Amino acid sequence: MYIEKRKVSPENIRQLFIKINILVIIVFVALLFAFWSIQILKNQHYTTLSVQNITKTLEVKAPRGFIRDRHYRIMAENKLHFNLFLIKENAKDIQRSINLACSLTGQDEKEIRRRIDKFRDFPGGYTIPLERSLSLAKAIYVESHADEWPEFIIDIEPARAYPHNDLASHVLGYAAELGPKELERVKDQGYTLGDKIGKSGIEYQYEKLLRGKPGSTVMTRDHLGLVREKLSEKKPEIGDCIVLTIDLELQIFIENLFKDQRGTIAVLDLASGDILALVGKPNFNPDFFTSSFDPQAWSALVDNPDKPLHNKFIQGNYSPGSVFKIVMTLAGLEEKLIEPTTSVYCPGTVKIYNDIRRCWNPDGHGRMNLYQAIENSCNIYFFTLGKRIDIEVIEHYARLLGLGERTGIDLPNESSGLVPSRTWKWEKRGQKWFPGDTISIAIGHGMLTVTPVQILQLIGTVALRGKKPNLHLVKRIEKNGKVLQENTPRFTQVPISPGSFETVIEGLYRVVNGQGTGRAARIDGFDICGKTGTGQIISKEKTEYRELVKQTRFIPHSWFASFAPRVNPRVAMVIFVENGGDAGAVAAPLAREIYRQIFGENKK
Amino acid sequence: MRNWFKYFDKPAFFVILSLAFAGIILIYSASHGTDRPYYLKQSLWLAVSVLAFFIILRLNTEKVFQSALPIYFILLVMLFFQLFLGHLTAGTRSWIKTGIFDIQISEFIKIPLAIILARALTKFPIIGWKEYIRLIAIIGTPFVLIGMQPDLGTAFMISSFFLMCLLLKKIRTIILIFSLIMVLGGIFTAWNYVLKPYQKNRLISFVNPGKYQKSAGYQIIQSRIAIGSGGIAGKGYLNGTQSQYKFLPTRHTDFIVSVLGEEFGFFGITFIFVLFFLLFYRQFNIPQQKTDEEFYFVYLFNFLIFFQFLINILMSIGLFPVLGIPLPFISYGGSSLLAFFTGEALIFRIKINNLLT
Repeated sequence: MYIEKRKVSPENIRQLFIKINILVIIVFVALLFAFWSIQILKNQHYTTLSVQNITKTLEVKAPRGFIRDRHYRIMAENKLHFNLFLIKENAKDIQRSINLACSLTGQDEKEIRRRIDKFRDFPGGYTIPLERSLSLAKAIYVESHADEWPEFIIDIEPARAYPHNDLASHVLGYAAELGPKELERVKDQGYTLGDKIGKSGIEYQYEKLLRGKPGSTVMTRDHLGLVREKLSEKKPEIGDCIVLTIDLELQIFIENLFKDQRGTIAVLDLASGDILALVGKPNFNPDFFTSSFDPQAWSALVDNPDKPLHNKFIQGNYSPGSVFKIVMTLAGLEEKLIEPTTSVYCPGTVKIYNDIRRCWNPDGHGRMNLYQAIENSCNIYFFTLGKRIDIEVIEHYARLLGLGERTGIDLPNESSGLVPSRTWKWEKRGQKWFPGDTISIAIGHGMLTVTPVQILQLIGTVALRGKKPNLHLVKRIEKNGKVLQENTPRFTQVPISPGSFETVIEGLYRVVNGQGTGRAARIDGFDICGKTGTGQIISKEKTEYRELVKQTRFIPHSWFASFAPRVNPRVAMVIFVENGGDAGAVAAPLAREIYRQIFGENKK
Repeated sequence: MRNWFKYFDKPAFFVILSLAFAGIILIYSASHGTDRPYYLKQSLWLAVSVLAFFIILRLNTEKVFQSALPIYFILLVMLFFQLFLGHLTAGTRSWIKTGIFDIQISEFIKIPLAIILARALTKFPIIGWKEYIRLIAIIGTPFVLIGMQPDLGTAFMISSFFLMCLLLKKIRTIILIFSLIMVLGGIFTAWNYVLKPYQKNRLISFVNPGKYQKSAGYQIIQSRIAIGSGGIAGKGYLNGTQSQYKFLPTRHTDFIVSVLGEEFGFFGITFIFVLFFLLFYRQFNIPQQKTDEEFYFVYLFNFLIFFQFLINILMSIGLFPVLGIPLPFISYGGSSLLAFFTGEALIFRIKINNLLT
């Protein structure tokens, strides 16, 4: 561009100007292009950033939906927690604020300083949580001094409350704050730290419905993070209301009846498949998880050998004992291996496949037909049937009646129990099936295990003469008083002839109303039918049995599965008493009390 | 007098006035509601500048050019003393506090410097060693004094005079190579021994602003957000969240374009660009017959405005290091405004002179 010539003509100057003009035009076009790209092509991107710059979104947590019993009585609700926050930049004298915080929360200065220190790198306007669940009196006290103490803020947060404390805790489960690991898992579903989530029971199973939709307040802030004005507000939406099938009164009655024992009791409404009561003992207080979190109390609960958090009704795998004779009878009848009149002589002890097998009555029952065998729960009779029947046949009928698989009740972590077979034993244990294995299973022992809920479903199916009920705990789901979803009764027809059921029911009737093992449950006029069971923990054949059984944890479990009345049955019930011993003496009398309650005898 | 009015470049004057008014409007947006009414000060400065413009327009160009050398030396002496006595603003001694108005000498020295350079350029057709040393002395002295304040932006603009000379005159290849080595050596020395860490950060942060998000890159990021979020039509006057909520730093001076881009969008940017383009078009293409000192002055001063405009714009979109260079006529700063009006007055006068003869 330089001008070299000594004499410069106007022509040269004009050329210089043209060059300059071209340069200027190129620069302007390039600059306009650059601004076009930033302002128009990338406008969306920068607009988002600028909105992020000036807005601060405060999430307002949604209250969880209520849980109610079948008569709409509250079983889980929300109470308000008053949380105390500190805003550092509003503090005129931080030492004074810390002293105040100490007296408000009852914590020492070190602890308060530690909490504040955690937010060292945050802007001064950040709200630092100091204490959960301040008392109402203290919350009001702080609020009334708002002018004096601008550094303190009280935030009201809905928290879970269980008005009946530990009642039906295995049904309700509990909701508690998300742990960091759990948060990682559910982050995609919009959970944030500090959110409550259902951890077990109905709270877990229906988390999606109970959770509600969080609201939010969007505010503008300037470059220092100071809030300027409120832009928009979205109110949180409460979660749906879950109406349970549980009858609160019956639940309370059974909880009191079964207090201080270990085991589980559940009552089934046969018309609908509704679970009217579900009691598990020992249990826990779900309220414990919502208020202040004490690690020591927590580990005490987890490490308790009686496992209060364990829901025996759906998670416990136990030997069904003689209750399984119901399945054996049905299998034998259907396969035409026995008839009601088929009789077997019981001498008390027999030798089968070189093993000594005993009846529970060492003197023997003498000659018995099928009805008598059920009534007296004669082992020898069913050993004899066991010799004639193949394990695959037993498995077939057990599975038809719902054993060996989950019932699908609406609770989490249900166990499936175990109905063994030849292939199962070969694959899992690498052992051949011995004929003696079948003999043990014939009286509900050996490798066979069931859960109490399966037994409840089984006895319900028998009561309904082959209509297998679909068990559930939720009657309907409501939103703001409107019904969203109603659970309709569902039954599956089991391909077993009604005649076989009638035969079994005759036997079950005699168990209670004759001279049978369940006669302690008898109430005149109510025609209760049932079957006792004794689930052994160690084999009777072991030599040390007599010694070990003196220890509580080796005493056999007691079962009593029953329904009433015999014709047009209304309710079925399973009672399982851990280490209860003699089922006829322990479980059957409990059933009697519960039937009295259900049928109104107690109300007089 | 009638001819004077006839040959006075009214469109160009209208353009520089428009730019100055646009500046005041933007400065108001950038500073209203604070305890610093920059827009009021800038209005006063504009009045002073327009007054000075017409006074200088009436002066004899030849005499003005003759007095450039003594003024240049006086200003150099003042710069020198300012290093020791100057008022410290944000760590730099670039201001002389007079009471009501603060004066930035480094802005004014650009005019006598341009005149002296213009006269020097008429003396030789090609830059040899002698000429080279002369140019270095003329440009280098204020460059060093201003750089030591330290005011990197103005020093950089002063040094751009040398580049302009190179664009105009042929230089001996050996000198060019020597200069390049000197420049590289100077950069190396400055980087390792002279510049303070914050200055270095400012220089390199534009390469990767995300890395310096919290410190030096912050300005660039916030400026780009402001401009980018302005979109086609902008967020509206006084409605730019980036500037109103003070996310933009030095928005009334170096980053005034960001306020423009945010509140008036691409339309606003285009409007101001068109004004600048018209200015350059009018002032570069003067009726000129020979390459005398007047021609060189017009060339140098226009290029100074052009460079300063270009670098300020590039800086605001993160394509040039943040050096602290105000946008001519628009950014807040009385000294800058007055200096540019003074320079423009000389160009206006030269145009009239050329048309009268």
